[in-house]
Amino acid sequence: MRKQDNEHNIDEADIREARAKFLNHVFDEKTFTFTAEQFADYAIACGETASCYTDPKHPDFQASPGFPCSLHPSQRMPDGYPRFNGLGMDAGKAITVYQPIRPGVTLTGRTHIHDIYTKSGRSGRMVFSLIRMDIYDGENLLSSADTSIVIRERPAA
Amino acid sequence: MILDLHAHSIKSDDGRAKVSNYVQWIKTRGLPIDGFVLTEHRQFDFESDYSDMARESGLVILKGSEVETEYGHVLVFGVTESLTQSLDFTNIRLALKDVLKAADDHGAIAIPCHPGRPRVGMAAHIETYGIPAGVGIVETFNGGSRENEDEIAQVMASAQGYRGIGGSDAHIVSHIGRCATRFEDSIRNETELVISLRSGRFEAITYRNAAA
Repeated sequence: MRKQDNEHNIDEADIREARAKFLNHVFDEKTFTFTAEQFADYAIACGETASCYTDPKHPDFQASPGFPCSLHPSQRMPDGYPRFNGLGMDAGKAITVYQPIRPGVTLTGRTHIHDIYTKSGRSGRMVFSLIRMDIYDGENLLSSADTSIVIRERPAA
Repeated sequence: MILDLHAHSIKSDDGRAKVSNYVQWIKTRGLPIDGFVLTEHRQFDFESDYSDMARESGLVILKGSEVETEYGHVLVFGVTESLTQSLDFTNIRLALKDVLKAADDHGAIAIPCHPGRPRVGMAAHIETYGIPAGVGIVETFNGGSRENEDEIAQVMASAQGYRGIGGSDAHIVSHIGRCATRFEDSIRNETELVISLRSGRFEAITYRNAAA
C-alpha cells in the first residue's frame, strides 16, 4: 500500500520537529451548551450516584467530573500533523477539574497538542500524542480533558 | 536492609500508583522491605520531596530514573542535575556506553533492567551489538517479568559475571515489593545507595512465589 505523503516510520528527528511545530498551538475552537438534563443523563449513564451530578434541582448541580471526556473537537488533529506509520490506539483519558461546569452556559473548548513523546516497550517503539481540550466559560478555565493517542511502530516484515 | 530498587509512580506516564499509596500498602501489608526507589521513565523527578513521608513512615524513599538505550532500558541511581544536563533522559535511543560513562562521571551508577525481556532487555540485543563494555550489574529479578525473562537475565548474569539486583517494576500499588535487593549496609540516601551498589555487598531477592 502506498504511504500517504505525510506518513512515515518513527524517527526521533521527526518527533523533535513535530514538537517544535505543533506543541501548545490551539488548532480547534468549538462551543457547546448543555442542559441540566443532559448532564444528569450522562452522570446516571456513568453510574454516578451523587445528587449534585444527577439531580438538576440540587443547589450545587453541575456536570460530573468525567463529562469533558465526552466532548470532541471539530478537528481531531492539526493540519499537517505527521501520520506515523504504525498501529494506532487510544491510550487513555485524563481530566483535570478546576471549577464546576454549570448547565446552560456557553462553553468554549480550545484544543491543542500538549505533548508528543516516544517510548519503547515489550511491543516495540511507540509515539504518544497527548491532545488537550481546555474548556472555558468565557475566560475562566473550568476543566482540561486529555486524550492520548499511541502509534505503535509497525513490526518489520 | 532490603530495598525495592525499581518502582514507578504517577510521575511516569504509565504509572498508576501514588507514592503515598505505596507507603500505605507496604505498612498495612507488613511487606518485608525497608523502602523503595522511584525510577520514573525517561526523566528524573526533581520536584517531588518525599522526605516527610519517609520520616513519618519509617521507610527509605529514594529517587532514580529509567532511561532507554539501544540495549534496552537502564536504571540510573544517584542522578544529579549535572547528569541530567549531560544526558537527554527523554531520548529513547541513548547509547548504553554513553549512559554508563555519564553515570560514572557524575557519581551515579547505571544498571540494565529486565535484561531478559524482548525488545527492551539487554539480552535481546547482544546478538546485534555484542557484549557491552562497562556493565557490572543487571537486574536479575524483576517483578514484571513474564515466563522465563528472569531466567534469561540470570543465565546472562552468570555467564558474564554480573552481579544482580531486584526490583518490582511496580506501576500499580499491589506490585510494590515483589522483588527487591538485600544490602549488607544501611542506606539512607542516593549517595549511600550508589556506594553500596559499587561495593557489591548486595543480593537480588524475590517474593513473587511467597503467599499473597
